[in-house]
Order: sequence, then structure tokens, then C-alpha cells
Amino acid sequence: MTVDWSWIGDHTDDLTTLTISHLQAALGAVFLGVLISLPLAVIAHRIRPLRGFLLGLSNVLFTIPSIAIFVLLLPVSGLTRTTTVIGLTVYTLVVLLRNTVEGLDSVPVKVKEASKAMGTRPLRTLLTVEFPLALPVIMAGVRIATVMSISLVSVATYIGDGGLGQLFTDGFQRNFPTPVIVGVVLTLLLAVVADALLVGLQYVLTPWRRRRA
Amino acid sequence: MNRRTLLGGLFAAASVPALAACSGGITSLDGQGSAGSGGGSSKGGITIGTANFTENQVLGYLYAAVLEAAGVKVGVRPNLGTREILIPALKGGDIDLLPEYQGALLHYVAPKATATEEGEMQNALTVALPSGLQVLPYGMAEDSDAFVVTRETAEKYGLTSLADLKKQNGKLVIGAAPEVKKREVGAVGLKDVYGVEFKEFKSLDSSGPLVKGALKKGDVDVANLFTTDTDIQANDWVVLSDPKNLIPGQHVVPLIADRKADSTVRKALAELGNTLTTEQLTELNRLVDKDKKDPEDVANAYAEEHGLVK
Amino acid sequence: MYELFKNLGAWLVAGEQWSGSDGIAHRLAEHLQYSLLATLIAAAIGLPIGLLIGHTGKGAFLAINLASFGRALPTVGLVVLVFLAGGLSMLPVYVALVALAVPAIVTNTYAGMTAVDPDVKDAARGQGMRGHQVLLQVELPLALPLIMTGLRLALIQVVATATIAAYVSFGGLGRYVFDGLAQRDLVQVLGGAVLVAVVAVALDLALSGLQRFLFRHRTA
Repeated sequence: MTVDWSWIGDHTDDLTTLTISHLQAALGAVFLGVLISLPLAVIAHRIRPLRGFLLGLSNVLFTIPSIAIFVLLLPVSGLTRTTTVIGLTVYTLVVLLRNTVEGLDSVPVKVKEASKAMGTRPLRTLLTVEFPLALPVIMAGVRIATVMSISLVSVATYIGDGGLGQLFTDGFQRNFPTPVIVGVVLTLLLAVVADALLVGLQYVLTPWRRRRA
Repeated sequence: MNRRTLLGGLFAAASVPALAACSGGITSLDGQGSAGSGGGSSKGGITIGTANFTENQVLGYLYAAVLEAAGVKVGVRPNLGTREILIPALKGGDIDLLPEYQGALLHYVAPKATATEEGEMQNALTVALPSGLQVLPYGMAEDSDAFVVTRETAEKYGLTSLADLKKQNGKLVIGAAPEVKKREVGAVGLKDVYGVEFKEFKSLDSSGPLVKGALKKGDVDVANLFTTDTDIQANDWVVLSDPKNLIPGQHVVPLIADRKADSTVRKALAELGNTLTTEQLTELNRLVDKDKKDPEDVANAYAEEHGLVK
Repeated sequence: MYELFKNLGAWLVAGEQWSGSDGIAHRLAEHLQYSLLATLIAAAIGLPIGLLIGHTGKGAFLAINLASFGRALPTVGLVVLVFLAGGLSMLPVYVALVALAVPAIVTNTYAGMTAVDPDVKDAARGQGMRGHQVLLQVELPLALPLIMTGLRLALIQVVATATIAAYVSFGGLGRYVFDGLAQRDLVQVLGGAVLVAVVAVALDLALSGLQRFLFRHRTA
């Protein structure tokens, strides 16, 4: 099994387009996941009975094969990017919900009480005290969700989308390893770079942790 | 109501239209275009969808090449899936045009159709297709389903035609793409018309590496391949004959949504249909599958060579 | 929507659904076979690695980042690649599933090992125990809960992903999803998905219960 390097040279345009498309889908899903999981996590964190239900439901959703979710969405949103993003968001949502709840749980009760004692209203406490302190765990969730999302996008090739995943079906149909190898390598690269950038982001967002050192 | 609540409310009110605009952007291909009462228009551009096998992609890019030369804005979405997925997508507007195969399409929309001659089939299709979809004139090139066995299997069981399979009922394994299990031109038809029952149906792919690999290895005895696949000859495989005409003629025929069918499109595709022969199509497939050329490049080269893109 | 679930119920319950090579019983058995074997192989690879890294403290970087790498690996790509390299067999499926499971096992085994109180290890060495004795008689038993968690998480992930066997013509519950896609038979797709979820959740509950029972006397 050898790599046809000339193929890579000839296809840099296509590869760029696919990579960008791939990234758009993955990041879109993470963004939507964050948007939905934040309020949901607060609800799960505050309201005891809902917590078990929400976390349990998300655990079950996580076990549903991704290709099945994409296919089941076809009657809803058709062969479009929307289907891919909604499908991916189910998974990012699960990961983000888990981690955000865990993050909020990790905020020491005493800190919340001190904030309350100072007269801070609950919403403000949430935004200025709880979330910042929960940030490390939440960011860990964002990292996991992003990397996972980048990997999952390729499954959407079975519904005609898939970003770099299209290289896999192409190589498979024609018995041609080069696009497949390139696809795997680029996907891994994307994940590594995204993860590194998020680590950097976390560093920037939590200055108080830096000051301690 | 204090300042904070007011700001929050304004923000919420502002975000609703913003989000609505966003979501409109995500669903990229929701163009319903010009709803035509009588005659469509290709002015808004045409999206060509193709099925999940090489030849269909070659055809898709051929359509794209000639349409672009005729001044139509074209986008190709390759490898979308099976006919079962593509036709609803066509109806729903995710795609506008799709290269199809006359007989196979007819038996898909009207499983008990009896038309066998090309002209008859074209008429039958016009009647049987759901509203909103139509077929344009069929082309010269043809690619039929074939049920194939290895030379050894043919000799071992004395198989020359599909009727011979009945003698081995319950013993042979058939390999084909998953959708073939439920199709008239497929497992269902083989049972209805020839009384054939297989020991097992293995879901593989459309004349692709899985089904051919399985046939070679002996994992399946009978394989559903396409007549334009050069591997049939290369491996000395035997195509079982079809005395009862289960497999209809399958000339390439463009399936298009009414809303996009106009004279520019008709003319361009008709010219292509009258130029492309089965041999040429087979060769184009070979260039993509064996020589690893891109379907798009191969299609563009062909179109230029044959004066279709003046 | 309601139609879909009603048909799903009918699909699951129909008699002939459970017999024959495409029956639920057979596909279920195949799916479990792939999952259990893959997890076993992953454990055979991952446990020693995790134990070694945890015991010696060297290679911690690997243990921590392996999980990220495993998560980033596109399963479809890996399956196709191994298929193109090695031909039509279950190898691509097992390679992909093992690649998925090993990181979870290594990470959790390592976490279990690092959670062992260093004082206990010191005391053991102080008593004259040699390295491998400390590992097997002290660290391993103490790390066991987290190790089991790792095995459980790996198995669940593998069960949820073993649908990929269907991408390259093999069986398991993924067959329903894949065939359902090709045939646009959404009831079949939903059936496959539901069965996978049920199996995964059932295994998760059973193994968690087992874990709780086995370690019921532990305080930590």
C-alpha cells in the first residue's frame, strides 16, 4: 500500500475545501452544544429530580450509533449540512452537559454562600462566581467534545456530507488508499491543533490560576 | 423593571431574528426555486446529485460539464447514497437532477410494470413518476444489472441462466448492495419471476470492492454487478442470462425535478445522451476505478474531446 | 413520529424477526461477540501498559494523551484503511474497535494506579516487598475499582461503535442501521439503534452493579 504523492499535489484545492467544510461542521456542533448545554446544565445542577433524568437521558443518547442519528434525521432536515450538524450536536451536547454539571458541582458550597452573604443575586453569582470557577472542568468538556466532533464528522459521508470523510468513501469505492490516508492524517491534525488552541484559550480565560504560580 | 431586566429583554428580542437568519443560512440547499406551473427554469442553478457508485458520479459530472457549457450554474453533490435516498431528496429539493437508469427506475416506481421496450418504458415512466419529477429523453449508453457467478461455480452447478438458479434453491449465497434485497430488479423479482430462493443474502455494495472481493473469495456464489464493470471480463466471470426479462433495458436517463426542466437543460442533456456510448462510458469508469483519475476530470476531458463544450 | 414507533414495536416483536441469519437473535449474538472479543484484546494490550506506566511513573504523558488521540481517530477512515491494506475480513473492524478501547483502558488503569496512596506503597516496600510484588499484591488490588471502570467504559464504547462491522459487509446490529439506510427503511434503522442502545445501557447497569457489589466493603 503506497501513497500517491502526486495525487496529493493535484488535489490541494479539494483538500482545503474539504478541511474547511469539515471544520465548519465540527465547530458548529460544538458551538450549538455549548449554547444548549449551558442553560440545561444550570437546570440539572439546581433542580435535583431533573438532574438524574437529564444525565441519564444523555447517557442513553450517547450509546446510539452516530450513523443512525444522521439517517433518522433525514426526514427532518434532508440531505443537508443541517442534518450533519444536528446529529453531531447530540453528541457534543452529551459531553458538554456532563462536564458542565460536573464543573458546577465542583464549585465549593462555601464560595457560593459567601457570595450570597455579600448580597449578590443568584444570576450574578452564577455568571461571575460559579461559571468562572467551573471553567477548567467545562473547558475539559469543550476539548473532548471538539476532538470527538472532528472525528465524528466523517461518519456523515454516508449521507453525502462528511467533510474529509468523503475521502474515505472515495478511496474505498476505487480501492485507492491515498485519499484515505490523507483523510485520516488531516483529521488527526485538525484534532491536535484544535485541542492545542483550546488549551491556550483555557489558559487565557483563567488568569487567576496563572497568578498562583 | 430595572435596567438589567430591560437590557436582557432587548437582547432576547434581538436575538430571535438573528437566530432565524442564522438557521436559514445553515440549511444551504433549501432553494425551492421557481415553482413552475408548466415548465421550470434552470436560472437559479441546478444541483446534481449522484448515487454511491463510480459510474453515477461520472455521469453526474458529465451532466455538469455540458450544462455549464450551456450557461447553467451547476453544483454536483457526489456519493449521496442509494436511489431510495436520492428520490426523496429530489422531491424535497435537496437536489434537482440525477442520472438514472430507465428500467431500474421504472421497476422502482412501478414494481409490476410490464413495459420492456425503451419507448414503452419512457412512457410508462412519465405516467408512474410522482408529480414534480420527470424523465428527459434517454441516452444511448446503457448499464444493466447483471447476476454473475465465477466460471467455476457456473461449471459446478451447470448455470447459464437465472432460471438454472432455482435448481439450487436454498444452497447459494447472493451478494448485492443492501437495497437490492427489497427490489423487484433484485432479490424480490428473482423470487417472483424465477422462483429463486437463496440460502443467504449478503449486504455488500454496488459492484464495488466488497461484492467483487466476496465473489473472488467465494464468500458469495452469485453477485449483483453492473454490465459496464470491466472486472467481469477480466475475471472471466459468467453473466447469467435472463430469458424471462426480469432485468429491463437500462439506458441512462436524466431524472429531473419539474421546477428545473427547461429547454436549455433538455437540449444540453439530449446532446450528451446522443453522443455517449456504452463502450465510452465503460472506458470512463475504468479510468476512474483503475487509473484513479477523478470523475470530474474524466468527464470534462470527455466533454471537450467530443465537442460538447464549445 | 407515532407511526414510526408503532412500526418499530411491530418490527421488534414479529416472530420471524428473531430467527434466521438476519434475525435479531443472530445479529445480537454477532454484535456481542465482536464487542466482547475486541474489549478483551484491548484489555490484554491496555492493562499491562496502564499498570506499567502507573507503577513506574514513566510515560505518564502517553497515558494522559492517549485518550485524546483515540478520540480523534476517525473510525470510518481506520476501517477503510485496514480493509484496503488487508482485504475483506473482520480485521479492520477489530483494529478500529481495539484502537477505540485501548485508550480508555490505559487512562483509567493509570488513574487507578496513581490513586493508590504512596504511603501504602512505601509501607509495602518497607516490609521488603520487591517491585513486582508491590505491583501485584498492593497496587493492583487497590486500583481495581478504577480499572474495572475503565473496562466497563471501554466495553460500552465498543458496543456503541461495533456497528462499523456493517460498513465492510459483516453482521452485528449495525447491519440493521446500514441496510435500513440503503433501503430507506427508517423502522429498521431505528430498530438497530434502539437495540444497540438497550444492549449498551443494560451492560452498563449490569457491570456497574457488579462493581458496586464487588467493592461494597471499600470505604473509598
